[in-house]
Amino acid sequence: MNTAQQTAANPHPGSPGTPELLVGMDQIGKVYPNGTIAVQQVNLRAGEGEFLCFVGPSGCGKSTMFNMIAGLTEPTTGQLSVLGTTPREARKQNEIAFVFQEHTLLPWAKLLDNVTMPLTLRGVPKKARNEEGERVLELVGLKDYRKVLPRQLSGGMKMRASIARALIARLKLLLMDEPFGALDEITRQSLQDELLGIWRQDQKMTVLFITHNVFEAVFLSTRVVVMTPRPGKISDIVPIEAPFPRTDEFRTTSEFGKYVRSITEVLNH
Amino acid sequence: MKGVVEVMEKAAVSAVSDAANQASPAAPMVRRSVGSGSHAWGKIVSRVVPPLSVFVFVVFVWEMVLRLTGTAEYLLPKPSDIVQAVSQNGHNLVVSVSTTIMEAVLGFALSAILGVAVAILLALSKTVERSVYPYAIILQTIPIVAIAPIIVIWFGAGMNAIVIIAFLISFFPILSNTLIGLNSTEQNMKNLFYLYNATKMQTIWRLRLPAALPYILAGFKISCSLSVVGAIVGEYIAGIGGLNGGLGYAITVAATRMQTAYLFACGLSAAVVGIVFFLLINALSNRLLRSWHDSAIAG
Repeated sequence: MNTAQQTAANPHPGSPGTPELLVGMDQIGKVYPNGTIAVQQVNLRAGEGEFLCFVGPSGCGKSTMFNMIAGLTEPTTGQLSVLGTTPREARKQNEIAFVFQEHTLLPWAKLLDNVTMPLTLRGVPKKARNEEGERVLELVGLKDYRKVLPRQLSGGMKMRASIARALIARLKLLLMDEPFGALDEITRQSLQDELLGIWRQDQKMTVLFITHNVFEAVFLSTRVVVMTPRPGKISDIVPIEAPFPRTDEFRTTSEFGKYVRSITEVLNH
Repeated sequence: MKGVVEVMEKAAVSAVSDAANQASPAAPMVRRSVGSGSHAWGKIVSRVVPPLSVFVFVVFVWEMVLRLTGTAEYLLPKPSDIVQAVSQNGHNLVVSVSTTIMEAVLGFALSAILGVAVAILLALSKTVERSVYPYAIILQTIPIVAIAPIIVIWFGAGMNAIVIIAFLISFFPILSNTLIGLNSTEQNMKNLFYLYNATKMQTIWRLRLPAALPYILAGFKISCSLSVVGAIVGEYIAGIGGLNGGLGYAITVAATRMQTAYLFACGLSAAVVGIVFFLLINALSNRLLRSWHDSAIAG
């Protein structure tokens, strides 16, 4: 486990000497043109195989973090490295995948065509692409729905398809922006279980997961990054030391409750 | 041949009397009954019988009032006069209608292809859009009758000029609708394509164009009827030009000869052509969008 924490002392978190480092943030700040400070003084390092949850209320800069790592916006100050390079360059290596709160499936395309879309854009031949599509659909339990249009699926199934699309290529980094935010609690829990299963199976994949749900963060993470607003910053990083596999019983242990309480305290501070 | 014309004529009178009585609700009513072919007979009967009985009633009153008052035919022809005029000029009418259909279809096809193509070019670059789109609007605001004579001068009286006039009148709705459609792709979807390193053309073909399809088809629906109007206006101005005259030409001739009944027949035929064209495009639209877009999913 990479135990690197909020270490402002290390000036070069993304230097080539540390290949297991996937995301390195050093004194990152983002100020929007209208003067709003989205995040400031963020120091964070995410290593291979970690499951990091960013938890905090709206306005704490979680989505800004996501957008910066994805390369949708650039930080105004500080050093940000993704896969050892800049976010934009990192994206071109095709080892990063994205899941949003909305399923963002193409409504006119069948499920198999939807999940293979990243490969289609890369120009992978149809046969190889469909084989890979079948694999990921099976992984999320949607094997029998490959010819179905998104509108015929339930919300949970659409999110499964969206995750399948993210898993389509061998990836190192999975970025998820409140993926289960719009789902009911039962569906949410079963998807959490499935996601953890997929992540554990892969062993090397790093997941950065944004949520406003403390329970979700504690259940999923190896470390919880607690963020607070005005201005958005990291208030604490809490390692969750409970062993995997985590089952439903973990949700009812006193250990779980203790983590939730301590994170909630930081949030309410 | 006569039979066909009569059937067309009846449909024309029915459709137009509908349109005259209840201009806007008429179209959706027809559309719905076409869209849901699988519905029970009873439903179709309940939809067809009321407008049909209104039609029969109006025609009957129209005929009787004119008979009783003895109004001259050249002022206002009776329905029976119109039917007679059609049967006497059946061949001419068929030639006129088919000529107009050809011109309208060509003009529409041209505007569909160029409208979508130009919209894609404008959507690819904001700079191009900002510099070119105002002129497209200006082109649209110049009255077609003002441009038509110039087009006849440039392209000669006849088919070419008429098709171009039909094109000009139906081009803008397709262009502007397609452009709105291309520009209203969901930001999330665009982000996703961007994050997966899609090229500009991939984003257009795989995301923005399919997402714009409902808008494009809405543009087609407006333009298909307009292209018929354009063709008739073109014929009005360009005349016969060596070919068979279309409906516009037939109307001018009938008007100068005071053949009011035939004039009515021509006008009604034009309406039928427009309606049929609209229904065809509407059916195409429903077919393409049926599976995924809310506008076309049978409720």
